[in-house]
Amino acid sequence: MSPVSDDDVSLPHISDNDLKPFYVLHKASDCQQRVKKPVGRSSRKVKVNLSASLATSDEGEMQDDQLHENSRMKNFHNAWVKIESTIKDVLHNINADVFNEVDSWVHKSFDSICSNGKPDANKATCAYPIVTDVTAKQIFTALVVMNNMEFVDDLQTFADLGTHLQSHGCHVANLSSVDFSVKSGIGGCLRSLLRQILSSSIDVADISVLASWYIEHDNYKHPVVVIIEDMDRCSGPVLSDFILMLSEWVIKIPVILILGVATTLDASKSILTSKAVQHLSPSKFFLGSPADRLDAIIKAVLVKPCSGFLVGHKVAGFIRNCFLRQDGTLTSLVRAVKMALVQHFLMEPLSFAVNGLLDEESEESTSVAEAWPKQAFDLPSCSRRLSEPKSEVALDGPSKMIEVMNLWSCVVLCLHEAGKKQKTTLLDLYYEALDPKLYNLRHSDHLELKPDSQRPSWIQGINGTSSKMQKGGLIGQTTRQVRDLSPAALLQLVEKWSKQTDGFIEIHEKVKELQLQEKIEDDTLKELANRSRRQTIRNSGNLDRSTKTLNDKAAALISCMTRDHMQPIECIPFHEIVCFKNVDKLQAALCGDPRRRIQLDLLECHNFLKCSCCGKSSNAPSSSMHDTTLMYTLAQEHGDLINLHDWYQSFRAIIFQKTVKERHRMKVSPSPKKRKMTAEPQNITEASVQARFCRAVTELQITGLLRMPSKRRPDFVQRVAFGL
Amino acid sequence: MDENDMIDEEEYEFSRNYFLAKESGKSVKKSSAHKVSELNLADEQELRAEVSNIEPRHEKEIALLINSYKKLYNEWVFELRYGFGILMYGFGSKKTLIEDFASTALTEYNVIVVNGYLQSINLKQVATAMAEVLWDQLKMQLRSASGGTSRDQQPFNSRSMDDLIAFLDEPHKTENECLVCLVIHNIDGPGLRDSDTQHLLARIAACSHVRIVASIDHVNAPLLWDKKMVHVQFNWCWHHVPTFAPYKIEGVFHPLILAHGGTSQSVKTASIVLQSLTPNAQSVFKVLAEHQLAHPDEEGTCLTFSVFKIHHVLGDIWYD
Repeated sequence: MSPVSDDDVSLPHISDNDLKPFYVLHKASDCQQRVKKPVGRSSRKVKVNLSASLATSDEGEMQDDQLHENSRMKNFHNAWVKIESTIKDVLHNINADVFNEVDSWVHKSFDSICSNGKPDANKATCAYPIVTDVTAKQIFTALVVMNNMEFVDDLQTFADLGTHLQSHGCHVANLSSVDFSVKSGIGGCLRSLLRQILSSSIDVADISVLASWYIEHDNYKHPVVVIIEDMDRCSGPVLSDFILMLSEWVIKIPVILILGVATTLDASKSILTSKAVQHLSPSKFFLGSPADRLDAIIKAVLVKPCSGFLVGHKVAGFIRNCFLRQDGTLTSLVRAVKMALVQHFLMEPLSFAVNGLLDEESEESTSVAEAWPKQAFDLPSCSRRLSEPKSEVALDGPSKMIEVMNLWSCVVLCLHEAGKKQKTTLLDLYYEALDPKLYNLRHSDHLELKPDSQRPSWIQGINGTSSKMQKGGLIGQTTRQVRDLSPAALLQLVEKWSKQTDGFIEIHEKVKELQLQEKIEDDTLKELANRSRRQTIRNSGNLDRSTKTLNDKAAALISCMTRDHMQPIECIPFHEIVCFKNVDKLQAALCGDPRRRIQLDLLECHNFLKCSCCGKSSNAPSSSMHDTTLMYTLAQEHGDLINLHDWYQSFRAIIFQKTVKERHRMKVSPSPKKRKMTAEPQNITEASVQARFCRAVTELQITGLLRMPSKRRPDFVQRVAFGL
Repeated sequence: MDENDMIDEEEYEFSRNYFLAKESGKSVKKSSAHKVSELNLADEQELRAEVSNIEPRHEKEIALLINSYKKLYNEWVFELRYGFGILMYGFGSKKTLIEDFASTALTEYNVIVVNGYLQSINLKQVATAMAEVLWDQLKMQLRSASGGTSRDQQPFNSRSMDDLIAFLDEPHKTENECLVCLVIHNIDGPGLRDSDTQHLLARIAACSHVRIVASIDHVNAPLLWDKKMVHVQFNWCWHHVPTFAPYKIEGVFHPLILAHGGTSQSVKTASIVLQSLTPNAQSVFKVLAEHQLAHPDEEGTCLTFSVFKIHHVLGDIWYD
């Protein structure tokens, strides 16, 4: 080996760019930009295809694939736009009342400030300070309580509030806790405020700039609203200074503050200085609870199939768990839905056939395809159905699917209405209603019973004599709750059902029937009660009995609806086209698990490299293993501290193992220098083993699985992860 | 419930492992007091030479593995396009993989690469470069659309970070979508690890004209981000792409564990540090070195400049 000279310092395969903090890899290629359509895919250049039938040599088929791929992407785009706008509408409706309240309060406050005298050029240019009266230094402040510790969900709410106020003529600036940090100080928030209100870059952070802008043109006719979305996270002193400053200028610039409060209403008192608090004239507003918002979004996006996209039972379970156990934010739920949508259209080759399916407008314009594409008959859900003995079951087209799905969502919403009193969340109900197993169980139970007429079987079902699922499940509980409702509540519920089922003839008629019975029952009872008021005791017994039968009938009705019409998407043939079921893929994309996965990479390296040299099944240390994985496997034998000497020795021993075997009893020379001189390619020098050891330790250090030796323990490294 | 049981069991397993490790740690500590110095260690220079000459192994398999990810490129582009940030993790250097992805699949985007494994990165300069490439593209499109000259723009390097972010985020009316893709190797690297930098990166990532592709290597990297950053700003889509490729450049700055104390920093490391400096700082060192070479006899060989002299020598650079 040639001695290493100082000139030979450049590392192999390390280019200049690797050592620059940053560099431009390439600029957008202009020619492609021109060809590209605004909403097309951007990856035509890559010679990989999304479709499964990549290997087809037939050009026609290739063209078909391309067409299908394009329509898949188009479908994705349409579905997402639809979901996004639905969510926006839902949130808008939920917040509309509060927003209007805030808006009218803002204008009222502005009027009251102006009643002290409108700002004009004279006032703005007169000497500072102009306000001497303390009461006139009050800033009208709205404390908007979020009912939610997770401020992430309310970022959009405050952005929307800003737009809402802006559309009603206010000058609005949306600030956040980032602007009120100790580091940037009062200059930071002021600069941010000026940038948004004046919509230009300002070098000097001076409030007088705002004052002189305010008297220009017609600006002074409208209030300046400053929204701080997360007051609890702001730096107290900076926010206090900001408020004090605004209060000095409040006559020149009638600023109205809107503070988002995540914790409690008196948070402002604990964060701000008492002097600043004195200048606030607070009013309170309350945003809708996160649970209401969640239910509304689930209803609009997932229960009512708004976009031609649905998720399977397991995926729904994952989304539910994410919300309930891990994150609890709507933002993450919406993100999960978007990710599921992306994955579905990427993975399901037949998703090109969705084409406006379930879209109410296109349903009307009869653009829904009459039949599924021929490839769809190979789908598991379809072939399963075909192989069943009763193969006369017609394999219906997309329109039938829409019908079944609409019925399903109608029943789910009826159940939700029934469970509202008991605070049953739609998310839980939705999850259970999607379960194909429960549906099949419900049906097999029903078939086992072989009832003479339908009616007794419902009652049998709810009495719990045979139904296994109805006992524990949420749906069973909800059904039972119907029996305990008061007559008034029952009346209301049936009325709601009647509205909900409007358009679904098969259910609606039954509901109407029940409503009629209820009315007759109600009338006769009223008559009875009027006729003999004195015989109250005897009549109340009658009254109880008759309402009980009504309750039973209502419970039987919802039970029947559940059994006959609540067919989960996964039980419908061809559901694969519109339904995303791959929960593992979704989970992997949404929440990476580097701690576990990186360790698994190291411990099960063979699963990835699939080399022939290392043992196939066992992960026992061997010399052919990747150095770092070998080292990490060896590290597992140590405690939380690894003695470097021992670790090196065991590493070295394994590295030399193979050589020893190959050379048959050849003794390893005690001096590494001697071995180094031999020209054999297999020759391993002590220095090279040390170098490999060093590099492996460095790599483990990069992954964060090791902590380097400290001064106190120079011969030990520390393990960081224990178990996966 | 079943899942709760599973979580409990996992937690139990974890704590058991931890205490077992602690236990065996004690026993090992008692029995093994070997010192690194007892090994017959090669000297640092030789060790460094050996490190740079380590014979690559499993090359074919690694190449196959990296190639196998090519079929995912379309998926990644799609996710990027619809507002997700791509975050790659898994053991092995992902530098080659990401750069191959960027140069083959992201040709329609402007791509800027940030080497997060370096010690110091000036994000302001990165943002300026991003704004410049975006402006170039916008200018070209506006010119081709209107046929006239586009309006003048204040030079970006004199703008504040807020202005740059506002520029990257503002809606520009163009025929086509103009995007700058920011590729960050080791977003969890030493130069980017602090909270302020991560917040700034998140703000940049949330801009309407920016897409982000990043890699992490540290097992605890997710602790760098809060919910707003993860769900709203970066909007990560995770991809587990172990490559098992050696961390060549990423590992250069780490001291070798068997090298003695690292007293003799090699020229290589010095030159790498020098190259990672800003151009201005580089030229300061260059002038100092030239001055020293030109005056070899003056005040011995050490860099014992007086403050006055430094001012004198560097005057041209500082007052330029």
